Amino acid sequence: MKGAQYTAWVPISMKIFADSAAAFIAERPDAASRQRAWGAFELAGLPTTNDEVWRYAPLKDFVLDRFDVPGEPTTRSDSAFAAQLCERAGLVVRVVDGFCVSTGAALEGVEVAVVESSQSLAGPSFIERYESDTFAVLNAALTPATTVIRVGAGVNVEEPIVVLNVSNSTASFSRTQIELGRGASATIVEYFEGGADALVVPLSEYQLGDNASLQLITYQRLDQSAWHVARTTGFVSRDARLRQAVVGIGAHYNRSRNDAEMRGAGSENELRTTFLGSGDQVHDFRTHQMHTGARSRSTLLSKGAVADQSRSVYTGLIEIEKGAKRTDARQTNHNLLLSPRAHADSVPNLDIRENDVMCAHASSVGPLDELQRWYLESRGVGREDAERLMIQGFFYEMLANLPPELAELVERDVTSVLATVNVVTP
Amino acid sequence: MTSTLTIEGLRVEVAGKEVLKGFDLFMRTGEVHVIMGPNGSGKSTLAHALTGHPGYTVLSGSVRLDDVELLNLSPTERARHGLLLAMQQPLEVPGVRPFDLLVAAGVDPTNLRQRMRDEADRVELRPEVLDRFVNVDLSGGERKRAEIVQFGLLRPKFAVLDEIDSGLDVDALGAVARRLSLASGEWECGILAITHFKRLLQELTPTRIHVLSEGRVVATGGPELSEILERDGYEPFRVTSA
Repeated sequence: MKGAQYTAWVPISMKIFADSAAAFIAERPDAASRQRAWGAFELAGLPTTNDEVWRYAPLKDFVLDRFDVPGEPTTRSDSAFAAQLCERAGLVVRVVDGFCVSTGAALEGVEVAVVESSQSLAGPSFIERYESDTFAVLNAALTPATTVIRVGAGVNVEEPIVVLNVSNSTASFSRTQIELGRGASATIVEYFEGGADALVVPLSEYQLGDNASLQLITYQRLDQSAWHVARTTGFVSRDARLRQAVVGIGAHYNRSRNDAEMRGAGSENELRTTFLGSGDQVHDFRTHQMHTGARSRSTLLSKGAVADQSRSVYTGLIEIEKGAKRTDARQTNHNLLLSPRAHADSVPNLDIRENDVMCAHASSVGPLDELQRWYLESRGVGREDAERLMIQGFFYEMLANLPPELAELVERDVTSVLATVNVVTP
Repeated sequence: MTSTLTIEGLRVEVAGKEVLKGFDLFMRTGEVHVIMGPNGSGKSTLAHALTGHPGYTVLSGSVRLDDVELLNLSPTERARHGLLLAMQQPLEVPGVRPFDLLVAAGVDPTNLRQRMRDEADRVELRPEVLDRFVNVDLSGGERKRAEIVQFGLLRPKFAVLDEIDSGLDVDALGAVARRLSLASGEWECGILAITHFKRLLQELTPTRIHVLSEGRVVATGGPELSEILERDGYEPFRVTSA
């Protein structure tokens, strides 16, 4: 990216997209608040690689007028994988092109609703909450509606809930809010597929009441031509646990920002992210763990591999507010280079305003663990197989919290992708 | 068919220090050899060097399985020729399952899950432990037993057991030793056990005992050697470099 700066000429390149957006907004019941969001987007314009947080994005390839905001969802049958995933779910919520088309069969203690709302679970409106994030503001203007999943207080949902996100049209702006009442627990899989030549901008929020426990897997398997700009935020109350795994495989540009706010005392966030880059993909992972509650904990593990001429960036910030005493926050990032032309950047950051805390970060870019590889080889596993097993293991680790029959399905899918990737270790 | 393992003049360096200073040993499949010696005598170095651990540098010597020089081979090829190390502290390999490891190592996948459960039963290991990633979240004793499960399925010609007895209680040690003893009948496995406890010798009937001191074998004998060690310790065998 050195030596070249790209500027998007917003007024010229936005005609088709802007017209489709205007037509979409005019049809919505809360057109006025959407119009405000659109106005904010127009004012800010598209980001450029001059912005530090966008400097790794291949924005020169980004032409907004290739995308067209759909007025309604298009239909197409699910992939075989999506069908198998749904078979293993207790509840399937189906979102097509950002529109919730099915809230699924009734499941005791779980309420699924589609609401016209411009409120963030954090309190303020989406525009205020995400004003500095251009694509989140676009989501505020262009999401068809918010899909809300509520798990009642004390309810333990045994079977996994699957949120199936399919993008058939060239633009989709889904928005999901998941709320767990006090002491509730659930496992939720957010799955993304489709997205050929499309812009996919999902925005999710998770609110955990006191002592609630959410196991969350985001599995992104979009087409290799998609632009995926995703953002999730968890709000974690007293003694609640948010365990989140984000697996990114598809998209031309895969941007995934995953934030969590540990608001209550003793709240906990475990975040694991992993990705596999191939071709000329860019994986751009961003995290922000904000600790305000005392004795709160966050553990972050990001592990990824880049092959061919793909590249990755990991930028993570741990922020600890004054008063969040005895907080324990850890951040680890391992990147694996599978080709001499692949590239990985790692930018961990700490911002600590309290003395009585444990905080650590580690990051590395390099080859696989030599001793682990030797252990496998000393059993008779060939070098290439050993490396493939270990890379596959990055993903299997992320899935370890899933129910076994679901983990097995996703593992098979990951393995089938890995089999197509060139592995050249130094 | 009987195979042989011949180690001659093996000198090995770890972190710039020569630890094995000319080690010799000859054994056949079906035999049980035990290497005993005080801490720092080079026992674990021997085990690691035989299997090509990256932290150990062989300075000179020869290790032949039948007529094949193992020191010229990669760790994978050594294993495929029939040499297996059961480690003192088996490594964790996150994300890799024992089943996938065994299949990649060339074990026939037919009925493999059942065979893994059977092997686990034989060493009194809870079979569900084998659904976890290799050695991750296992106790010390479970790891040792998981190594023996791999051993039972990989069926090496020669197994090097590095302090397999440490971390096992008496019952578990008995089960592991019985599994190892049966292996010499099942596929005429040769066992090279490294230990500094006598307990293992009571369970495994050794063909030969070798006492290692300062990187060399200083005494070789039958079970009576262990009686002397029990009574007098390693002091009578200590060699001081001139």
